[in-house]
Amino acid sequence: MLLEASQLTMAFGAFKAVDDASVRVNEGEVLGLIGPNGAGKSTFFNCLTGDLHPTSGTVHFEGRDVTRLSPEQRARLGIARTFQVPLTFGSMSVLDNVMIGAFLRHHAATAARDKALEVIGQVGLGGFAEASAKSLGTPGRKRLEIARALASEPKVLLLDEAMAGLTPGEIRAAIDLVRQIHGRGITLVIVEHIMEVIVSLADRVVVFHQGREIARGTPSEVTRNELVIEAYLGKRHAAKLSGGAA
Amino acid sequence: MMRRTLPLLLSGALALLYPLLVSGSAVYQRLGALVLLSAIGASAWNLIGGYAGQVSVGHAVFFGAGAYAALAGYAQFALPPIAGAPIGVAVAILIAALIGVPTLRLSGHYFSMATIAVAELARVLVTNWEWLGGAQGISGPAVARTVLDLSFTSAVPYYYIFLAVLAAILFITWRIEKSRMGFYLRAIKDSERAARSLGVAAGRYKLYAYMLSAGLTAVAGALYAIMFGFVDPESGCGILISVKMLIMAALGGAGLLFGPLVGALILVPLEEISNSLLGGKGAGLTFVVYGAMIVVIARFLPSGLLALFTGRMRPARKPSQTEPSHAA
Repeated sequence: MLLEASQLTMAFGAFKAVDDASVRVNEGEVLGLIGPNGAGKSTFFNCLTGDLHPTSGTVHFEGRDVTRLSPEQRARLGIARTFQVPLTFGSMSVLDNVMIGAFLRHHAATAARDKALEVIGQVGLGGFAEASAKSLGTPGRKRLEIARALASEPKVLLLDEAMAGLTPGEIRAAIDLVRQIHGRGITLVIVEHIMEVIVSLADRVVVFHQGREIARGTPSEVTRNELVIEAYLGKRHAAKLSGGAA
Repeated sequence: MMRRTLPLLLSGALALLYPLLVSGSAVYQRLGALVLLSAIGASAWNLIGGYAGQVSVGHAVFFGAGAYAALAGYAQFALPPIAGAPIGVAVAILIAALIGVPTLRLSGHYFSMATIAVAELARVLVTNWEWLGGAQGISGPAVARTVLDLSFTSAVPYYYIFLAVLAAILFITWRIEKSRMGFYLRAIKDSERAARSLGVAAGRYKLYAYMLSAGLTAVAGALYAIMFGFVDPESGCGILISVKMLIMAALGGAGLLFGPLVGALILVPLEEISNSLLGGKGAGLTFVVYGAMIVVIARFLPSGLLALFTGRMRPARKPSQTEPSHAA
């Protein structure tokens, strides 16, 4: 077990964005977190990365309790993330952005630079190293965030809607990139809206709805699950759909 | 590399020769020293305000610590003013640590406001502290007892002392800029949340930068006190001191190595001219002028004058719709 959240609850006042969720991430797998808007995926995700501290419940990484650790402490242990709305360092070049990640394991500027250039090549931003991060479009920024996270040499990479806002062509390229990252032995947790992405990438899926986990299993299992269909489409449509199928 | 080195060498040579070039004019020699002194303060501010993007409007408290330590050492213990400087630096660093821990958690304007509050508090405190001269302030040695008092009638010795100190500060800044800390500070400025997600201990780095900046600002304060031989609450801890550091750095280019120096080169002569034209009548006007400058810089030059010339990064090149995908 690489990453494990147990009975995690995140309450904002009386509202429980995440309600008693328990999720295990096995080493080497690709775990998908899905659910309709407002299901609590992102809140749950932010509890894993340390951006939020849960109201109750625990997060363990490699057997160690990290519930109270800050994002930077978790990054040092090997948890990396991207942001739903890219938070690239706008005043810097692409190379400098990735060097920030590389500096985590390489303290000398020259070593960090070498590592950053290597990662920039791997994610397909090779021609853009000297370009300003601001000049990249959405797909480029998402890719840059992935590069930055990879440069920190993580054990697990958490992608928060890394494909949102991309065209179908860009999504296919991004899926290839994620596969390639996984191929290098990095465990992945992906929060995603787009079913195509989940189906083609995830080994296992956990479905959130209104802060609670409503289903888990392989992508094909959960997409056939009635609760899931109901959560996405509403009761009436779900009934129609299953009626039509029968 | 040559493109940057040559102008740098020429500027350096010009800076070294300047007092000789204007050897006929004590006014210009003094102006040169004042420009360098302001550049020292603004460059010190630049570390936290420019590179780390934590806009302090309370650096007067550190400046005051240096200035008061230098002259209190003389007034109370008959020490040469320079002997008090290290005490001032230590006090400034201590104050920075004390106020940095709670205030650096605040983001953006809240940090700025907290620093204003601390500096004003310090001003009120020294005004009512008789040991530090109260509202009257304290003076340094009227005539040099030994050369250690660093009390000269000509501005030229001050000019070279300031030049050496400025060179040292710029060298420190340059080393930081090229190091992990420099990258981290810029990352924090752009997005603290993203920086932390990559393992940057943002709180710690901001505090380091703040303490270093405070210590160097105290050096500027001590040098000021040594040259002028006098400090009172307004000239030591007044808000105008904090504002000037900020404006000089912002005008030249906050977060750029030579930004504060360029800002000082423009603003200090302007200030001296307006002072001589308006005499004592212009005291209130200074605030109006600085207020107007803040507005103009924020609106038209948010990155400062030097940013107009530094094409370090390749201009925006629109990436193609589908970026080079990288099949493994």
